Amino acid sequence: MFVLETKELTYTYGAGTPFEKTAVDQVSVGVKKGEFLGVIGHTGSGKSTLIQTLNGLLRPTSGTVLLNGKDIWAEPKKIRAVRFQVGMVFQYPEHQLFEETVLKDICFGPGNMGLSRPEAEARARRAAEFVGLGEELLNKSPFELSGGQKRRAAIAGVIAMDPDVLVLDEPTAGLDPRGRDTLLNQISEYRKKRGSTVVLVSHSMEDIARCADRVLVMDGGRAVMLDRTDRVFARGRELETMGLRVPQITSILLTLREKGYPVHPVLTVDQAVEELRPLLKKEGGVRHDP
Amino acid sequence: MIRDITLGQYIPGRSLIHRMDPRVKIALTFVFIVFLFIASNFEGLLMMVALMFLILFLSGVPLSQYFRSLKAILFIVLFTGVLNLFYGGGRVVWRCPFFPVMQITDGGIGNAVFISIRIVSLILFSSVLTFTTSPTELTDALERLMKPLKVFHVKVHEIAMMMTIALRFVPTLLEETDKIMSAQKARGADLESGGVMQRIRALVPILIPLFVSSFRRAYDLAMAMECRCYHGGEGRTKMKQLHMTGLDAAAVACTAVFCGAVIFCAAYFPASLR
Repeated sequence: MFVLETKELTYTYGAGTPFEKTAVDQVSVGVKKGEFLGVIGHTGSGKSTLIQTLNGLLRPTSGTVLLNGKDIWAEPKKIRAVRFQVGMVFQYPEHQLFEETVLKDICFGPGNMGLSRPEAEARARRAAEFVGLGEELLNKSPFELSGGQKRRAAIAGVIAMDPDVLVLDEPTAGLDPRGRDTLLNQISEYRKKRGSTVVLVSHSMEDIARCADRVLVMDGGRAVMLDRTDRVFARGRELETMGLRVPQITSILLTLREKGYPVHPVLTVDQAVEELRPLLKKEGGVRHDP
Repeated sequence: MIRDITLGQYIPGRSLIHRMDPRVKIALTFVFIVFLFIASNFEGLLMMVALMFLILFLSGVPLSQYFRSLKAILFIVLFTGVLNLFYGGGRVVWRCPFFPVMQITDGGIGNAVFISIRIVSLILFSSVLTFTTSPTELTDALERLMKPLKVFHVKVHEIAMMMTIALRFVPTLLEETDKIMSAQKARGADLESGGVMQRIRALVPILIPLFVSSFRRAYDLAMAMECRCYHGGEGRTKMKQLHMTGLDAAAVACTAVFCGAVIFCAAYFPASLR
């Protein structure tokens, strides 16, 4: 039932040297087929390391990663096949662009899969459409694009491999609010159409609250919470002790609840309006402090 | 992983050698190397080896570190050593049964040993310098030592600044390479298999983004430097002033004694190279 699962996964950097550091410690988590999993954690909590073990870029020090129930390291020579099934978009993916044209760059992944030229191009065009890159941009040099367009071209390069699981590490970092919204919508849209699974690492609690079905919270290399998004954010005070925060609106509702108001700590402004409306009616519209 | 490669061999410490003025260290290393070649016999070489061991001991760097630096040149030492076996005069010790021209003489054995010790000492002397002097100290000292070249319109400050910047960005670029490699591997780039040509071609997706980001960094840095009104070395003062102390005087005196001994040996004993 899990498309991707880790079992007691541990990763230690520089094992056997004085600089030994365990970045991921005994993590056992599963990603369900078709779900949108958010991953949050303080800088250095091990989330980037964790996701790099998911597609076999890092080989776990101990423990296993199961893809559709099979250990991805059972045959180390076939690890490339795993990377096509678990697509990984790194932070600032625009730094990986290198080809002469955007289309060729998006074709790099499909080409490595051994697809024929026309087939790879067909996939590239579809991927470009998903991320909203117009036809007129495809024959430009990737270095002529704007920052946001570069980012989309790079993400298209991973989507073009048609992975079952798409892992994104901070895909909205450094984008303006509108670029952020568009990109997240496109990812959600892509997931809906393809029925693929998405793992999103983000520092923005608002992004996670908006998109994720479930949230994994990492702290000090351990997986400390894995639950439905609303349940995780309802534990806002615990998150704060880990250097994380909850979406602003949730934080406000949590404070109201601590003061004794009967509200649920919901995740979006629209939901909050629904929560607060009956409350305001009961109090006669405005609350006057004595 | 690529960032595990240690670049720059500086081993921090507070030993007598560490605390010396880097200018003096560079100058004395130069003197040592010259005198290794002035020493023409085993007696003189013994003086240099004794001085070398004294310095190795004073540097406080574990001997294992020095051995590691020797490992890299082991091949060169063996190669020159074996070659020298056959190029000496004197009594023939062994003659190749197939090629009678190839013969080992006692003079050749002496030469081989002499040359090997010379090369090993050469490496160890320079290792002391790089082990005990941080890269920034080194460039600082080089800038100061090259100052006289200004007469010939050599841009000494600019050269030193370039060296400092290059050194500063080595770890940054290594990290960047690591990231780009991961990203391309995630897109199925195959860096580990295939023939030579295939491997070279596989480097293109890594080198191009690396070039692009180096240029971006260079522009950013140039901009940041200009924002801080950087205009070259004219009238610029140093945060860390280099000072010579009694320690440096002692080091110079000590070197002078040993070098005097080498000259004495060279004058009074016959040359060992035959």
